[in-house]
Amino acid sequence: MNIRKILTLSKKEWLEIWRDRVYFTMAFIFPFVMMMVLGFGMSFDVEKMPFVIVDYDQSDLSREYSHKFISSRYFDYKGHLKKASDADELIAKADIRFLLVIPPEFSKNLKQGKPAQVQTQIDGQFTYRASMVKGYVSAITAHFNSELTQDWFAKKRGISKQELQAMLAPVTLQTHYLYNNELKSIWSTGTGMIMLVMLVAPAMLAALGVVREKESGSIFNIYASTVTPAEFITGKILPYILISYINISILSLAAVLLFEAPFKGELSLLMVSNLLYVASAAAIGLVISTFVKSQAAAALIAMIGTMIPAMMYSGLMMPVASMAAEAKIEAHAFPAMYQLEILWGTYLKGQGWQELWPNLFVITGFLLLYWGVAVLRFHKRVKA
Amino acid sequence: MNWLWWRRIFALTQKELLQFSRDLILVVATIYFFTGEVYIAGKGVSLELVKAPIGYMDHDQSLASREWLNKLRPPYFDVKGQITEQSTALKLLDSSQLLGVIDIPPNFQRDLLNGRPTEIGFQLDGSNVVLGNLANSYTGLANAYFNQEWMLKQMKVTPAQALEVPRVDVRQMILFNPEGNNAWFMSISEMMTVMTMLSLFLTAAIVVKEKERGTIEQLSIAPLTPLQILLPKILAVELILLCGIALSIFVVLLPVFKVPFQGSFFLFFLVSAVYVYAVSGLGLFIATISKNLAQVMIISILLLMPIILLSGAFTPPEAMPEWEQALIWLSPLYYYINMGYGIILKGSGLEIIWQNLLALFALGTVLFLFGIRQFKKQFGA
Amino acid sequence: MDFAVQANQVCKRYRKKTAIEDISVDVRTGEIYGLIGPDGAGKSSLMQCISGVLTYDSGEIHVFGQCIDSEKTAEKIKHRIGFMPQGLGLNLYPDLSIEENIDFFANLRGVSAELLTQRKEMLLSVAKLTSFKTRAMKNLSGGMKQKLGLICTLIHQPELIILDEPTTGVDPISRRDFWEMLNRLVMEEGMTALVSTAYMDEASRFHRLSVMHQGKVLEQGSADEIVSKSPGWVVEIETTQPDQVLATLRTQFEIVEQLGQMVRLVAFGQDKNTIESILKNLLNSEELQWHFLPIGLEEFFIQRLKNHSATAEKQLQKQPDLISKSHAKNNTADTSALIKADKLVRRFGNFTAADQVSFEVRPGEIFGLLGANGAGKSTVIKMLTGILPPSEGAGFVANQNMAHSGMAIKESIGYMSQAFSLYLDLTVLENIKLFGRIYGLTGQKLKERIDWVIKIGHLQSVQNETAGSLPMGKRQRLALGCALIHQPKVLFLDEPTSGVDPIGRAEFWRILVRLASDLGVAILITTHYMLEAEHCHRLALMQAGKIVAYDTPYALKQSLKQRKGQVLSFKVTHPYRALSCLEKAGYQDISLFGNRLQLFSKEVKDVSNNVINILKNNQIEVKDTMVLQPSLEDVFVDKIETALAKHELS
Repeated sequence: MNIRKILTLSKKEWLEIWRDRVYFTMAFIFPFVMMMVLGFGMSFDVEKMPFVIVDYDQSDLSREYSHKFISSRYFDYKGHLKKASDADELIAKADIRFLLVIPPEFSKNLKQGKPAQVQTQIDGQFTYRASMVKGYVSAITAHFNSELTQDWFAKKRGISKQELQAMLAPVTLQTHYLYNNELKSIWSTGTGMIMLVMLVAPAMLAALGVVREKESGSIFNIYASTVTPAEFITGKILPYILISYINISILSLAAVLLFEAPFKGELSLLMVSNLLYVASAAAIGLVISTFVKSQAAAALIAMIGTMIPAMMYSGLMMPVASMAAEAKIEAHAFPAMYQLEILWGTYLKGQGWQELWPNLFVITGFLLLYWGVAVLRFHKRVKA
Repeated sequence: MNWLWWRRIFALTQKELLQFSRDLILVVATIYFFTGEVYIAGKGVSLELVKAPIGYMDHDQSLASREWLNKLRPPYFDVKGQITEQSTALKLLDSSQLLGVIDIPPNFQRDLLNGRPTEIGFQLDGSNVVLGNLANSYTGLANAYFNQEWMLKQMKVTPAQALEVPRVDVRQMILFNPEGNNAWFMSISEMMTVMTMLSLFLTAAIVVKEKERGTIEQLSIAPLTPLQILLPKILAVELILLCGIALSIFVVLLPVFKVPFQGSFFLFFLVSAVYVYAVSGLGLFIATISKNLAQVMIISILLLMPIILLSGAFTPPEAMPEWEQALIWLSPLYYYINMGYGIILKGSGLEIIWQNLLALFALGTVLFLFGIRQFKKQFGA
Repeated sequence: MDFAVQANQVCKRYRKKTAIEDISVDVRTGEIYGLIGPDGAGKSSLMQCISGVLTYDSGEIHVFGQCIDSEKTAEKIKHRIGFMPQGLGLNLYPDLSIEENIDFFANLRGVSAELLTQRKEMLLSVAKLTSFKTRAMKNLSGGMKQKLGLICTLIHQPELIILDEPTTGVDPISRRDFWEMLNRLVMEEGMTALVSTAYMDEASRFHRLSVMHQGKVLEQGSADEIVSKSPGWVVEIETTQPDQVLATLRTQFEIVEQLGQMVRLVAFGQDKNTIESILKNLLNSEELQWHFLPIGLEEFFIQRLKNHSATAEKQLQKQPDLISKSHAKNNTADTSALIKADKLVRRFGNFTAADQVSFEVRPGEIFGLLGANGAGKSTVIKMLTGILPPSEGAGFVANQNMAHSGMAIKESIGYMSQAFSLYLDLTVLENIKLFGRIYGLTGQKLKERIDWVIKIGHLQSVQNETAGSLPMGKRQRLALGCALIHQPKVLFLDEPTSGVDPIGRAEFWRILVRLASDLGVAILITTHYMLEAEHCHRLALMQAGKIVAYDTPYALKQSLKQRKGQVLSFKVTHPYRALSCLEKAGYQDISLFGNRLQLFSKEVKDVSNNVINILKNNQIEVKDTMVLQPSLEDVFVDKIETALAKHELS
């Protein structure tokens, strides 16, 4: 490997990117916009679910029960309706997400010590939100029930409420959210986006960079020269690593400044892994470029080939531990998962070199693998 | 707009379809997007809590503590076993081998029996917010059931008496998707996202291809108005994408994911057609500002993101910050998603969706006229 | 004898297509060897195989004695060769300046810093590019790009340079410049050059060459040797009544064609005297003037292929019935201009692409617009067709201003744009049908017109093939057919024949001439082939957006002849040394064509003797001497040089 030739190739590539202002601006704006949109866009916080109540009973007890929903911060009370069928259209139009129906004999049944059937109708469109609503409704009802039970005992056994409470202290469950104390989805999705965006963008840029030369014919300069494939691949990739490293650094900062994510771990680790990660992403692009001939195909394949594994098999959406066996294999066969662990580890979990060094090792391995494949697949004497 | 006018449109539309059918990469990519992508989305992402690995540190080792732990049931939880050291627990959590760790204090049972307040700790990995929320909600419920049972037991209520304890039973009905099958939601939204992406990209690609080849000049010299040049392209994209969506519905959604199609197919295709028309206007605009296919690709993606972000496809409008809610009407996908889910899952008819359809048509017309104006400017035709 | 390249029975196939078949070529060290042939002849594939950047299926290639049969062996010779791929400036980097481009190539080749400075300076000055060093490559003219490409290929002092169509798409003056630079460097540095070209008239630039067609070598040797295999003469007859002369000559000669005010006759196998006497018999020699030209490679090529393939012969023999009976001769007495450019100006930012361009084209007239790349020809056509609004002035077609013309006028225009502008992924029939339907043809009428287009284009056998799979010649005929489907009165053709083989071009022009003469179509055409320009009734020559000459081809040549005289052409033994001797002796503007020297002279006899003497004194033998008429290419070069000189003065 001749350093001078590599630097010559890199310098040319850099000048070309730098002078093509549209491309240059794109190279920086693209990842940033993508991160902002996805980061702010994919919210999993479940709050303010719009709902209505149909209260056929109109008793004190039913009002007491209703009030528990109206005052919950998870729900956004939109009013009472006369009949349940009135809600059909509201639900169909997605104006409300669920309906609570309290039957006519609600308080009568309860006072007689009979179970009272209430009903909810939840919009199942957003599955996750529907199950969250279901959970909240159950929890509110359980709480209401335990109060009812206490009242019942108090009346039945003639003990005062205070005495009863002294006998029966309920277990409280104190959930402590590790890593993301306020359970803000933007902390985790936002930092996770760094992994996604900086896999897609460098791969796409690098793939386009090589294929552009194939399309224009300037690749023949390389074919006809004494430059070795290793020198070419290395020289070609360096400017994209530089650009992508600047990008990933901006995004890493944006996660803290704009998404207000904490940074608890070791910065030096993140900086090193960011570099290795964007380098391996760019190397993926170069591997792709050895398969395709047109820029359109390169962009398409780079997009599909990086987006899907980064989205589906990185642990961003679903923890790797709960994946099916094949999906698990796919997750481990791609650098995305390892980088995500580093990102979440350093931002949220406060981890550092000690815990995460094996990940660095693996990412470096991927980088060398992709680089090697690209070098081996790059032929200077082509078939067509 | 006489007969001849339409004959020309027809001839050009036929040409676009022929050209599309000869571009193998494009055909394969389109088929892939409508089947593979939709399938992966439906299969791949689960927003359900399934067998979440939970560990526990039971410092009490009593009947009560075991009973409490028994309330963590499959399919939601997979209780892994006892952990003795907090450091081990943290390590397992750090490495994502466990989602959460239950911490039952010593003397748990004794305190309960004596009516002293007890507290069970739950350390939960919050990095995946969906799972965090769900796990918290389900453990909370488990705790409530435990409390209820414990109370009855404590008060020595006989089973016969227990029936007389007043309680509210909730019959929870999840409409449209009673089993909470997440694949329905994901596959439908992916299908709609693919529609958006392709109406944007295909329209732009078809126009840019003519620009790159120089054939657009041949057309602008022919006795054709800009509308006559552009309309056939949009008609062709309409036809291709309607076939694509039929492919999605009849090959993936219905047979694989068993999505119950409640509404009218005809209405859904009508809505889809209006939607393609709306988005293709933006595609025309992209074509006028890009020089080649690669640029089309990048700009399409850039435009696609706000459209998806604002659509409510992943985040329902009510959960958005206010500034986003104010902009929502700008995203054509918002109307499409509303109507699409409405027709497919809720069986909505025209009487329910007509306002959305009208709004989408109006937005589409604005975008389309804008696209044509840009095109006219560029080609001076 | 040392060989730089020895290729032996090389074959190369791409999936379905055979690119080259059993080709054997030997290139001696120190010579300029030419591969000449139309698009798709296999020149590029062969050159890429020799450069070691393309695999081949069978045969053997040795470069400097090294067998090139794998990626590894190919690497061994790469430091000794320079390769410039096809496509004007496509291997250069548009956003980099001239100097940065050169530095890149040098560093890629590991040229040492001192050597780089020294060579860069030398090459830039030879190419006259020194003052543009910092200009970005994308802002260079075609000729400059081409010279920069050559510098970049030469920067590492290769022993063999392989140049793939370096002159395609470049105007004649830049082509001359390029050849001079190449000649000089090859001789000074003792290099070997393997060069391909699609221009037959460049054949004389090579020491030896291979004429290629459809993947095969038709002939090999020096241009003279090749042409002498079918000896014969070209006679140009100037006349005021070309129709009559044409008809008369047809009785005796096989190949006769009308070129505007001139009739051109090609006679193989007859000597000068026989032809002369036949002509004297047939024509009134007192009124008519004619002169003899030696057979060129272009004529040879057509003749050779005629014998080579029966179909080619059929194409040439059969005169298609151009005019279907439904629309007999258009006898419009109205001779007012159908196309009129009235002081057209078009600016792009600070750049004026077209500057006060005015001309007229009457019905039945073929009007040629000539000029270098970027001279503004396409801009003018675009304004006249209404694609591009003019900044000032106006373009008229049939008296309608095209800037705000209605749909009706568009129906009478046919247009063929620079790049092949039909749909490559549609079949021939689908393309024709599409344009027929766009122009509102239906039913029986549409069918008739489709048949007509297929017939005039000789496209019967390829009806159901996609346009992209056709050879250039057929594609262009298809494009012409589509432009004619609605029987337009006005036809705009923007470089319709670039890359088409001579037979295809001859066929194409035959159709155009008939369209103009029989149907009264007004034709505006741009071209780089000077021989084609002879077909035009009138010519306008553009330079930097302005028209610098505007007349009939005959008048243009006559005025040059009056100013500068006739062309003397000497075949010599040591052309490069001869050139410097004559330059020392005070002769200027001598051009070098392979082993021929050419110069203008008013006193042909004196100068001829003088030159022969000077050369004899320097032990250079003059093998033959010819007196030629100035060609349109000479006119072109002269006009542009004058315009450039004026520009420099102002």
